[in-house]
Amino acid sequence: MAAPPRHSSMMATNAGAPQSGANDRQQVTQQSLTPQPTQGLRVPSNRKTIYDRHLNRSRNAESSRASFAYLFGEMVTYAQRRVTGIQDLEKRLNEQGYPLGLRLLDLLFYRSTSTSSSALSSSSTSSSPPNRPLRIITLLHLIHGPLWRLLFQRSADALEHSVSPDTPNEYMITDNDPLVNTYISVPREMSMLNCAAFVAGIIEGVCDGCGFEAKVSAHNQPTEMWPSRTVFLVRFGDSVMEREKVLERNGVK
Amino acid sequence: MLHTQAVFSLIIINKAGGLIYQREFQAGLRKLSTNDYLVLAGTFHGVHAITRSITPKIPLAPTTNSPAASPGTSTPAASSYSYPNPGASVSGLDYLESDKFRLTCFQTLTGTKFLLFTDPMTGNVETIINKIYDLYADYVMKNPFYQLEMPVRCEAFDRHLGAWLRGRT
Amino acid sequence: MSYYFTILSPTDTPIFNIAFGTSKGGGDGIARFRFPDTAQYMNQFIIHSSLDIVEEAQWINGGMYLKHIDTYPPAAAYISAFLTPSGARFLLLHQPPQLPSGTSSGLGSSSLLGSSASTTRASSSSVAANPTSPQTEEAVRQFMNEVYESYVKTAMSPFYKQGMEIKSPVFRTKVTGAGKKWL
Repeated sequence: MAAPPRHSSMMATNAGAPQSGANDRQQVTQQSLTPQPTQGLRVPSNRKTIYDRHLNRSRNAESSRASFAYLFGEMVTYAQRRVTGIQDLEKRLNEQGYPLGLRLLDLLFYRSTSTSSSALSSSSTSSSPPNRPLRIITLLHLIHGPLWRLLFQRSADALEHSVSPDTPNEYMITDNDPLVNTYISVPREMSMLNCAAFVAGIIEGVCDGCGFEAKVSAHNQPTEMWPSRTVFLVRFGDSVMEREKVLERNGVK
Repeated sequence: MLHTQAVFSLIIINKAGGLIYQREFQAGLRKLSTNDYLVLAGTFHGVHAITRSITPKIPLAPTTNSPAASPGTSTPAASSYSYPNPGASVSGLDYLESDKFRLTCFQTLTGTKFLLFTDPMTGNVETIINKIYDLYADYVMKNPFYQLEMPVRCEAFDRHLGAWLRGRT
Repeated sequence: MSYYFTILSPTDTPIFNIAFGTSKGGGDGIARFRFPDTAQYMNQFIIHSSLDIVEEAQWINGGMYLKHIDTYPPAAAYISAFLTPSGARFLLLHQPPQLPSGTSSGLGSSSLLGSSASTTRASSSSVAANPTSPQTEEAVRQFMNEVYESYVKTAMSPFYKQGMEIKSPVFRTKVTGAGKKWL
């Protein structure tokens, strides 16, 4: 794409800038503020970078269940290459989900801050943004409700605390029919495998992102009514439990 | 009446003629040995291919040939024959009927064949087969653990197929 | 008013920083800190020293915007913090201009022209006038929210991993734009 002549003359007057491949006009003006090494920047022909797009356009931007199923199927197949066993496969699926959790966390908060006002630029004070979770219960409610709705358009089915006194750091989130497993039948010889380990990875990413070190795993707990019922076991680390005690003493909610 | 809606059994044959799925939906059917089912699938595959290739063609209506052409040389070339309905693809054996059952064959675009054994009185077999194809596309083809052309062992497919057929009667 | 803005990853890696000056009230948007040009590291020094306070405050206040959290009186440096849910920290150091003398003499003389002119200027540039006023807090909040939007877009990129330096010139432009608009 050839640059219009007016534009190229502008580049020439900006003597300080070294020969740059960047053809973005704003780039030129900002270089005069802070000199930094220029690198080739390709901007789409309509000059709309991802920074110019809205993050809230989710109404008509849903992907079909079938394309997700094929995509996820390929992810499982990919993760299956050269694995040593079921645990290794689950670990890989978990690792695929983890970075997604970190990203979703930011997106989730961004969307919930700006749902009431159409744009952040509206000068009036927008509705008070949701708080970052400080306690385990608020975090789990965030996962059980808003996160699940963002991902699957419904809340999770149950949230429980371990009844055993030995494991006060264990919590269970139940999904009766995980979307990721809808079309998946695990062969009998791998019956321990649950592909929702991917979702467990997402949960782990969200917990870690919020500062709650945790290990999350997915377990099959089929019932007559829900053959693919899955329980996500969330195990928080010692540091989290310790901090939880301190926060409780200080009355932080 | 239950019997008029009866679906007896289902067989799925892959594009190479191998049996990849076989299931009965009614108690009290005569069982064949596994080997016989394989033979049945292979035989049907062959018969289907033969019926497709012997589909008769009819000569095209002569399009005002030049009058100079002598009658002796006008042996029509192969291209002047056509299927009765050139728009429709050649399907081969579609169904086979006896007075006790009806066998309906449905072939997908990729060459997989679904054979459905039903009561001859059962209506709307096409709908049933389409639904089975739907379930197959969902629970077999979207399953990452299913290897193409291999026997179908998908628990979710079995479950949904059974539940749907039970629900219709 | 001069600003120094830094984003720190959850593991304390600086992933983005920028220095700029106010654009309100006739400001030219160029940072003029009180340190000599050779001592610009002081900004980083002061901003990083406030991290301890951020880490304390982050488990008491659940909001994302923690407002003004630290002051370094010798340099009249005020620090505001914003925490993303995923643990990145946005820190903004603001330093009012040195009034008696120095580079801002041009602005000072213009305010002496007339009282009416100076009051209008003071109201429009109240951000610069008082670093701890509610207006400043609000302006910084708007700035932080706008940067947060761009940050989320960066984080969504499949080529971006948490903790990587943000090199996009478009991101830099967006932050500069937000600074111009609110500060």
